[in-house]
Amino acid sequence: MSSRAFRALSLIILLLFSTTAAADNMVMGRVSLRGEIVLEYLTSSIEEHGYAIAHIQLCDGGMTDFGYKSDLYRVVFFGKIDEVRKISARYPELVAYLPLKIAVIAEKDETLLTVLDPDALAPFYRDRELRIQFARWKSDLMSIFEDVRRSTAGHRVAAD
Amino acid sequence: MPLLRSLLIGLALMTAIVSRPVYAGPDGGELYTEHCSACHQLKGQGGIGLPLLNAKLADVSDDYLRRTIRLGRPGRVMPGFMRMSDAQVNAIVRFLRERSGTESVAFSDQAIAGDPARGQLLYTEHCVKCHAADGSGEGEGTGVTQSRDRSFLVMPASISNPGFLASAPDEMLRRVIAAGRKPSGMPAFGRDKLSESEIDDVVAYVRSFEQQQGTAEGLDADERPTHVYESPYDFDMTVENVKASLTGANFRIFPDRLLEQGLIDEFSVNTRQIGVRFCNFNTLYGMLKIEPRLGVVLPCRITIMEREDGQVLLVVPNLRVVSRWFNNDELVSLWDQMEETFTEIIDEVTL
Repeated sequence: MSSRAFRALSLIILLLFSTTAAADNMVMGRVSLRGEIVLEYLTSSIEEHGYAIAHIQLCDGGMTDFGYKSDLYRVVFFGKIDEVRKISARYPELVAYLPLKIAVIAEKDETLLTVLDPDALAPFYRDRELRIQFARWKSDLMSIFEDVRRSTAGHRVAAD
Repeated sequence: MPLLRSLLIGLALMTAIVSRPVYAGPDGGELYTEHCSACHQLKGQGGIGLPLLNAKLADVSDDYLRRTIRLGRPGRVMPGFMRMSDAQVNAIVRFLRERSGTESVAFSDQAIAGDPARGQLLYTEHCVKCHAADGSGEGEGTGVTQSRDRSFLVMPASISNPGFLASAPDEMLRRVIAAGRKPSGMPAFGRDKLSESEIDDVVAYVRSFEQQQGTAEGLDADERPTHVYESPYDFDMTVENVKASLTGANFRIFPDRLLEQGLIDEFSVNTRQIGVRFCNFNTLYGMLKIEPRLGVVLPCRITIMEREDGQVLLVVPNLRVVSRWFNNDELVSLWDQMEETFTEIIDEVTL
């Protein structure tokens, strides 16, 4: 058995036995800190998980003229080049959802992190390879959110 | 040797999995931390989501909690956890009960016979200030951003929300109106303010909000999350056509971004995969008021890619599918219209 096949098998077994529930379509995290600080923790955790930050988009930039109020609204785009290349070659329709993105919405000292749950795409595909990919993304996203939560808890303690 | 090592690791992994208490029920505390604490906070103090106060939990049935978890509050930030198993939902409810030391209240599912017309008058007099004329709890917005008034002790509940109405039986509404909700500042109307029959009239009026709700059209069985179109033109001409068509449809076009841009050095980026990003700020503003989390699917983008055989593809998200991920009927209705605009644009481009 090749190590790649073994890893895939291990992941499937883990998924089968996992007691962790899938969140419904959105994965959300909340941190009691200002958006700019959370954004820093978020981007460094994304990179620590092996992803490259493609860019960070200002979502509220052009909206203020219309009366939109937000202390901070950013979308962080990130991905792994090998994954993006593989998916764009084999499943071109999925490029609409790449790179991955996390919305950072802040209001005073409260920041909400939101991301589309990759599992929301799973019902449309039977392909095992894709389902493993969705599960891997989900797992990374949960881990990134947990990372941010822990790091920012440390930040609060340090600040106190 | 690598094979042996893989097998040993596999064996260790299997042992670890089998030794886990897989037969124990789901852990409500873990599920709560994962799915609920982002909004309600770890101890239920609330924040983006309403506080899960002991006094409030003591006022509701387990059934109300279960339905609330399942259905969420469409149009608000609370998602509906339809994919959770019954065991998982029950585990969260058990966890909430144990943590708060409260017990389920038994409510009858029987409808209460009140007069909604009389109830409307009473509602206007006593309830509008906090719950708003349409029962939405102080205007539009989901509670995530500053789009809502934040001066209340807690945000007034949206009592016309379909998730709330489907979760709360009439008898529970009657009890809440009569006894109030002290921790959230809702006064009791049952002492000397309203008679029992008047309370029943208000209940009947609140229940009548159900009839004012539209239902989003379902998806077709073969609907996909993305549309893929073949362009009859070459890559550069297709990109040009897309931009011209978007401009004609009053969209503002942002600078192009290559799909791989930022993920690898600029000399190695595939330049034949480009995302044409666009926006209509006025429309977007309206949509963000309805659903502030839209950023997770923004900006609108049409991806144009040239395949190895020279075929040019246009890849566009199916807005009908995407909008339904937000548990927000108002957004669904708007995006169903937007989907038609996208289809017209693509028709024009590929003509």
